Amino acid sequence: MRRGPAVNLALAIGLVVLALIVLLPFWWVMSSSIKATNEIVSSQPTMVPHSFTLEHFQKLLGASDFPRFLLNSVVVSLASMAITVALAVLSGYAFFRLRFPGRDFLYRAILLAYAFPGIVVLVPLYGMMSAAGLIDNPFALVIVNVTFAVPFAIWMMRAFLAAVPIEIEEAARLDGASRLTILRRIVLPLIAPGVASVAIFAFVASWTEYLFASVLIQSDAHKTIPVGLAGIIGQYQVDWGLMLAGATITTLPVIALFAFIGRYFVAGLTAGAIK
Amino acid sequence: MLIWLGVTLLYPLVSSAALSLENVRIIGSAGRFVGLANYLSVLSSAAFWLALERSVVWVAGNAVAQTVLAMASALILEQAFPGVRVARTWIVLTWIVPTIVIVIVWRWLLSTSGGMINPFLIELGVIRRPMGFFSSSVSAMTTLILINSWRWFPFVAVMLLAGLQRIPGELYEAAAIDGASRFARFRRITLPLLQPTLFVLLVIGTLLSFNVFDIVWLLTGGGPADATTTLPILIYRTAFKGYRLSEAAAMSVIATLLLMGLAILAVRTLAPREEVR
Repeated sequence: MRRGPAVNLALAIGLVVLALIVLLPFWWVMSSSIKATNEIVSSQPTMVPHSFTLEHFQKLLGASDFPRFLLNSVVVSLASMAITVALAVLSGYAFFRLRFPGRDFLYRAILLAYAFPGIVVLVPLYGMMSAAGLIDNPFALVIVNVTFAVPFAIWMMRAFLAAVPIEIEEAARLDGASRLTILRRIVLPLIAPGVASVAIFAFVASWTEYLFASVLIQSDAHKTIPVGLAGIIGQYQVDWGLMLAGATITTLPVIALFAFIGRYFVAGLTAGAIK
Repeated sequence: MLIWLGVTLLYPLVSSAALSLENVRIIGSAGRFVGLANYLSVLSSAAFWLALERSVVWVAGNAVAQTVLAMASALILEQAFPGVRVARTWIVLTWIVPTIVIVIVWRWLLSTSGGMINPFLIELGVIRRPMGFFSSSVSAMTTLILINSWRWFPFVAVMLLAGLQRIPGELYEAAAIDGASRFARFRRITLPLLQPTLFVLLVIGTLLSFNVFDIVWLLTGGGPADATTTLPILIYRTAFKGYRLSEAAAMSVIATLLLMGLAILAVRTLAPREEVR
């Protein structure tokens, strides 16, 4: 439909405002992480850095526990990602292609599980983990992260699976391929963007997780970034330079991942949702 | 997979119910069966009802702010113009960065030393001198709701956008030929056809916002003077700071029942017709 110039102008303004709302806070934080401390806390804030220093990053990486938190986060997130992807592909395929009693009910139950308040299972999960001797063990975090990522992952998976023509699978079946072979050789390559979006979702979900990490992990040696950074906030007399550097380093991996597969991720997000 | 979810979600729920009937204080210590005593003490405590009330305010505030922001963004992003694909992807940036980053970003932006917001508001003439956003109870809650909405509205917007794109363009063209104004088209075509999407988002959004813990905990810790202590905060504090696990479990059970009840009620009574069929 054609738009008049007034509508175009309104649209342009709206878009700029939207971009500012989303991006400006990040710009401020990232650009400020390389400012000298006196510029950071100056009462005349600057949009573009007037000074340049890497001291905050040096302090963060050299004199704090941050590098260890970073490593822990990477390990936990990658493990959660791998398990979530494997589970989501297998069960997504089962939900979509196999018929078994109670399938629809289970599918809905899984949707519900996604929106399930984590806080209400926090106390009993803590009890379970302590009974299993997994308190202060990163593996406990992986288990919890997978639990909360899998429902949404299956949801996303389903839309991608729906796009795979069933005829190809039937042809392969006629040629004598087993279910697993079909999944591995035919379906998987076709749903690669779906697998990518599930992977990024699972990674980001555990990269961000705070609640369970704060309770299940106790020693500094096993803390992940969200809990570790929160600890640094309390520990030092609010050192904004350090905080901003921490925020910047924590955001960068997510942005990097997103730059590669963000498009598929958003497609997966919406494709799964509107059903 | 199902076994996994069964063990990690269903079993805790059941054991939570069991725990709530005992009097365990610290994890690992043995409890004695006390029947409904925990429920009685929870239901008769003012703190519980106040937290529940704050949770209602929190969920409602978030729902309104996010819906308005998201609807406006979705309508903008639906239009075709250069760069819109990039914008549709990157808008969810606020949703994918860790909460701790959001917390650092806003604590700093809102701080009275070096923060950008105070000078900006003074410039605009909204306030005279720098204000502490988390120091009074009303402004703390409002600020938290706005920050959380800032974080979540892109997610809602992307969902709404997908809903918008499923509305056939011919409908708008036909209406335009009949002389319907932009607003009339929005009200008579967009809104009714978007209803199923809006409904699903409302139900899921309510559950998700109720659940929000970290952003509140890390920004205000539930203060000032409990003004932002929503139910999740209260449960967390009762269990891990006050060491009254069974009481926290009782609260968890009550919250679960309440949310489930609300969700079922919503689906039964409010679900748009098409979905029922």
